[in-house]
Amino acid sequence: MIYCKNCGVELEENANFCSLCGEPVSDENNAGLDYLTTGKTSKTALIDFQKLTHLQKRKIFWEIAGMILFSGILITATINLVSDHSITWSKYTITIGLALFMNITLIVFLYKKLFLSFFLSFVISAILFFLLDIYTGNTGWVTKLGIPLLLTAYIIVLSFVLVEKKAKQKGLNLLAYAFLALGFLCVCIDGTISIYTKNFFNLGWSLTVMVSAIIISALLWYVNQRLKKVTDLKRFFHI
Amino acid sequence: MGITSADYERFWFPLDNAAKIYPAIISDEVPAVFRLTAVLKQPVKLKSFQKVVLLIEKRFPYYKVQLKEGFFWFYLEHLPGHIPIDVDKNILCKRFSKGEMLLRILVRENRISVEFSHILTDGSGGFELLKTILIEYSKACKADIPVEFPYMKPDSTMLEEEYEDAYNRYFNKEIPPVIRRSKAFHLPFPLNPIPRFKQSTFIISLKQIKQIASIQQVNITVYLISVYLYVLQEIFEDLPPSNKYKKNKRLRIQVPVDLRNIFPTKTMRNFSLFVMPEIDLRLGHYTFDEILKSVYHQMQLETDEKLINKIIARNVGGERKIYVRGIPLFLKSALLRMEFYSLGTSQYSGVISNMGKMKLPPETEVLIDYFIAVLPPPNKMLKTNCGVIGFGDKLVLSFGNITRSKEFENKFKSFLEKQGIHMDTEIKNEKHDLL
Repeated sequence: MIYCKNCGVELEENANFCSLCGEPVSDENNAGLDYLTTGKTSKTALIDFQKLTHLQKRKIFWEIAGMILFSGILITATINLVSDHSITWSKYTITIGLALFMNITLIVFLYKKLFLSFFLSFVISAILFFLLDIYTGNTGWVTKLGIPLLLTAYIIVLSFVLVEKKAKQKGLNLLAYAFLALGFLCVCIDGTISIYTKNFFNLGWSLTVMVSAIIISALLWYVNQRLKKVTDLKRFFHI
Repeated sequence: MGITSADYERFWFPLDNAAKIYPAIISDEVPAVFRLTAVLKQPVKLKSFQKVVLLIEKRFPYYKVQLKEGFFWFYLEHLPGHIPIDVDKNILCKRFSKGEMLLRILVRENRISVEFSHILTDGSGGFELLKTILIEYSKACKADIPVEFPYMKPDSTMLEEEYEDAYNRYFNKEIPPVIRRSKAFHLPFPLNPIPRFKQSTFIISLKQIKQIASIQQVNITVYLISVYLYVLQEIFEDLPPSNKYKKNKRLRIQVPVDLRNIFPTKTMRNFSLFVMPEIDLRLGHYTFDEILKSVYHQMQLETDEKLINKIIARNVGGERKIYVRGIPLFLKSALLRMEFYSLGTSQYSGVISNMGKMKLPPETEVLIDYFIAVLPPPNKMLKTNCGVIGFGDKLVLSFGNITRSKEFENKFKSFLEKQGIHMDTEIKNEKHDLL
């Protein structure tokens, strides 16, 4: 008799894995299958990883991302210090690296708090813009151009995420929403730049983008509706 | 005429009268899911078991459905695919997510569990499926089952009656509805952190409890309801005077009654109602004998066919009114939710459901040690419940509890022990708990 050491059920004599939980059959039960050892180990490792909760998996990603970013920050700062005896150009990599790390931290730990993580991420990115402006001589582009564009982008992305979460069907309709969002973002960028450069609202290239996006979205929406299984009206409206 | 495989795509049916409330109140903590477990004497032979499930599932197409939202009501729609068989990770009565089949089979070591959404069926309907699985499993293990033993054989023809809404069949609109009851006492214990639901199993000798109940000239159900009420009375009386003053003084237990025993039907969907024996503590302290006597008579009275008709008239009459039917689903769900908490749960202090003694062919019975019936996790108001199921000489009590206190179960146990009934606590495998 062979028993699964994980879920305890009785398996077939020739079973290599438990078809209920995926656990490989132990060595003592499977003496003649030495050639499978390597496969079994990787399978076990895979199963161990699968057993982790979503938070644990996100934490692993956070640790790896942190190590890569901090190594990058450290390396660029060291090279800068050694070559120039002060922090000059490396302040860009340090600031961007830190902002990236903070954004990753938000994704990992505030995964379920959508509004809070978007708000904090916006604040971090806004601070990053201010710092970049200061580094480049404080020309004032942040308040007139950077922050409005950043805010627009965040609002559009947040709206898309909310629509995606609410959508009952996740197919080409989501691609249609994405095209519309992109078109709208282009209109906002064009408008904001025109106010910044010409001091009045004027749309040019973005109108072409928007019209194209609407046409593509409509096409995708139509295909999606055609593919969707049409619900029987009798059952939907039964009273 | 039954459903042919060609009809599956179009196969759908409205929710039965009892099921209509559940989609409105379901949450992660109140999933309206119950579990029936068969504890075998030997580990489950996986391959044979998987084959058996594949074989029998065709016989129960009305269980292979998902919940869908209509404009006025929810409905059940055929879901292609097999009944899922998973490892039992000891996460009890997990909510069924959107688009999921409303039943699942869970296996671990020597345990076979079937979890059903109450939207689909009640304990009796659910047990019929488990019975078929177990009999076919014993056949796969080389048992010879007598042909005359009645069960839903995989090759038998399905009847339309099996998925009828039997409440509708027995609804009589001429009967006046029942009068609303007053609010009942609820246990004052603090709740567990989420996930709140914990379950404990106690095993007692069926012969022993039957003997003691028969000395009192009552059946086991009446005896256990009386113990339930007596324990609640003890908890109420132990409360500090200031707290006691604020609490409702009626102790009322909700006891499901299988209507198949009263009204003939072959339905495999919900067909049960509740009777609610009570004691009123405003009238003073009750001795156990007084509770027994009172519960016995209340049960006799309330399970009368005419009174049951009255409850059906209230439940079905409500949903048949055109102004109720015409309300869009989202509004109807909000109203049902309010009604459930204000008129439903507030009226009783606890739930005890006795499924009775399970009968299987002797060839199948030799494989089984005992059964466990886990009732759907109670809500925040109710806090505890108790599922009872008998098999062989074992009567298994399964207490569901969402509070930090084990006082209720402990008092229940010590009361039975004082009466000379020994209770064994089921020791769960630690590995089983950790997974």
